[in-house]
Amino acid sequence: MSIVIPPPPDFTTHEAGGAEFNSATPTRTWYHYVLILASIVFAAVSVGFIGTILWNALPDFEHHTGTLLGGNGWQSPAGPFGGLAMIVGTLETSVVALVIAVVIGLGTSISIVFLLPRRFRNVVATLVELLAAVPSVVYGLWGFLVLAPWMLKTVIPWLNSWPFAKELFGNPGQQDGQSLLLASIVLAVMILPTFVAISREVISVVPNDLIEASLSLGATRWQMIREVVLPTAKIGLFGATFLALARATGETVAVALVAGGVANVQYHLLYPGTSIASWIATEFGEAQGNEIAALMALGVLLMLVNFGLSLISRGLVSRQRKVLAVV
Amino acid sequence: MDQEFMAQVETKVVAPTESPERGAAAMQLKGVAVSFHGRVAVRDCTFDVTKNRVTSLIGPSGSGKTTLLRALNRLHDLTPGAKVAGQILLEGTDIYRGDITVTELRTRVGMVFQRPNPFPTMSIYENAVSGLRFNGVKKKSILDEAAETSLKSAALWDSVQSRLKVAASNLSGGEQQRLCIARALAMDPEVLLMDEPTSALDPIATLKIEELMTELKKRVTVIIVTHNMQQAARISDDCAFLLMGEDRAGELIEFDTTEKIFNNPIDPRTLDYTLGRFG
Repeated sequence: MSIVIPPPPDFTTHEAGGAEFNSATPTRTWYHYVLILASIVFAAVSVGFIGTILWNALPDFEHHTGTLLGGNGWQSPAGPFGGLAMIVGTLETSVVALVIAVVIGLGTSISIVFLLPRRFRNVVATLVELLAAVPSVVYGLWGFLVLAPWMLKTVIPWLNSWPFAKELFGNPGQQDGQSLLLASIVLAVMILPTFVAISREVISVVPNDLIEASLSLGATRWQMIREVVLPTAKIGLFGATFLALARATGETVAVALVAGGVANVQYHLLYPGTSIASWIATEFGEAQGNEIAALMALGVLLMLVNFGLSLISRGLVSRQRKVLAVV
Repeated sequence: MDQEFMAQVETKVVAPTESPERGAAAMQLKGVAVSFHGRVAVRDCTFDVTKNRVTSLIGPSGSGKTTLLRALNRLHDLTPGAKVAGQILLEGTDIYRGDITVTELRTRVGMVFQRPNPFPTMSIYENAVSGLRFNGVKKKSILDEAAETSLKSAALWDSVQSRLKVAASNLSGGEQQRLCIARALAMDPEVLLMDEPTSALDPIATLKIEELMTELKKRVTVIIVTHNMQQAARISDDCAFLLMGEDRAGELIEFDTTEKIFNNPIDPRTLDYTLGRFG
């Protein structure tokens, strides 16, 4: 069998500035134009989407100045359409859900990376990914059919046994169990996989060098985690938190099923309330005229908030990369 | 410890070469072997590390130098499936089975790594005293003094004393590595392990670290892994030569004073390696 030695690559015909690179014709074939067209269509759709939403929301900003952000109560069909209940409800449910999810999620991520034996590690990691793939309507259904009765029977009596619990959470008495707290718990379960997936990634890329350096200085495992791993991963963990928050604020169907759908500003978490996204989903069907504009305006607000949150989390993740690049 | 592994490592033990000019041993290795998931990575390591001398571990890639070094402060404890056989004595105490906790061991046997790895979220000062803080020292006067002493010992104090609060990542590579040495020295260890500490540094920074080591051995015993034969010849007093055996496990070929290893070795393979005929 003869050995074929390939000829050395011939660079002479491809010199920069040579004739081939200056002539446009050979590189621009049909797929070049298809790709350009695809990107133009995409840009047009994006601009058209944002434009039409803003356009349809405009009447609300014109006629009901202040009601969106300041008003309470939603009187269909004539108005006024106040957005305060939805804004407050979104804030309450998202923040409570975030606190629950971050506390449980951080513990889960740290255990997956450092504490669990290898075979359990993969089991827990797979579980987390499975939870992330569950459609949100299933979470809503589970919250309504399973969690709500359990809350009524167990959680609420237990909460009420604490001093000041009634002042803090309210005492709704007998009802169907839909409440802002239930929505928060369902949301926490829903955003947990998102938070765990990202925070686990952020924690596991902390360089082994630093972990070994801290242990070589006589640090215990807990000191290594608390004083080296978590501070190094801090920015990325904030990124994961903001991404989870974005998911919580935008969640629609599950909250619509369990929050109760009452458009009153409600600071006691055991009473029913609503959120921006779930209110839009439940009200748009019967809306006309100014109510459509009001719902569109709520949509614009939610969109802006989520744009902001995702921009922040992207910025944080890229800053985390820079921190790690120094190491 | 499984029988099979013990049978593999108890084949032969090279007796340490007697040498009258050596003093008391800081660490003693007796038939040390390390395996990962039953696969032996290095074995037959028997030699004494003498106090206040620099002992270098040399040998080609894959001969188990770093693996052996990491066994000396129990860093293999973290690796699943890793086993260390034989005895490693620190001042006569078996570090794996004796009356010593792993955190205590690591405060007495410090480590400097291949790549400079100061903690990126800490300042220069915080890095220097990080080991003391891990071990519960809180008093500011003690920490301040330790930071100054250790940074001086690492020949870094003059250039950083005005910017102790600055993040350690602002230092150059060579300065970062000296900060890592200072960080280890702040614990006042008996032994300092160095895993190719200059391989990521430029020649000038390398020279500074080498000068530093000659100074350091007055107060601490140094064990250094190096790829660089000239470096081993320049800075070390004793030298262990390791080589990969036929079954791809590293083993100790020869241990002696650096002078003998480089000028008059017993084993012909040692001569071949130091003359650059392979590796």
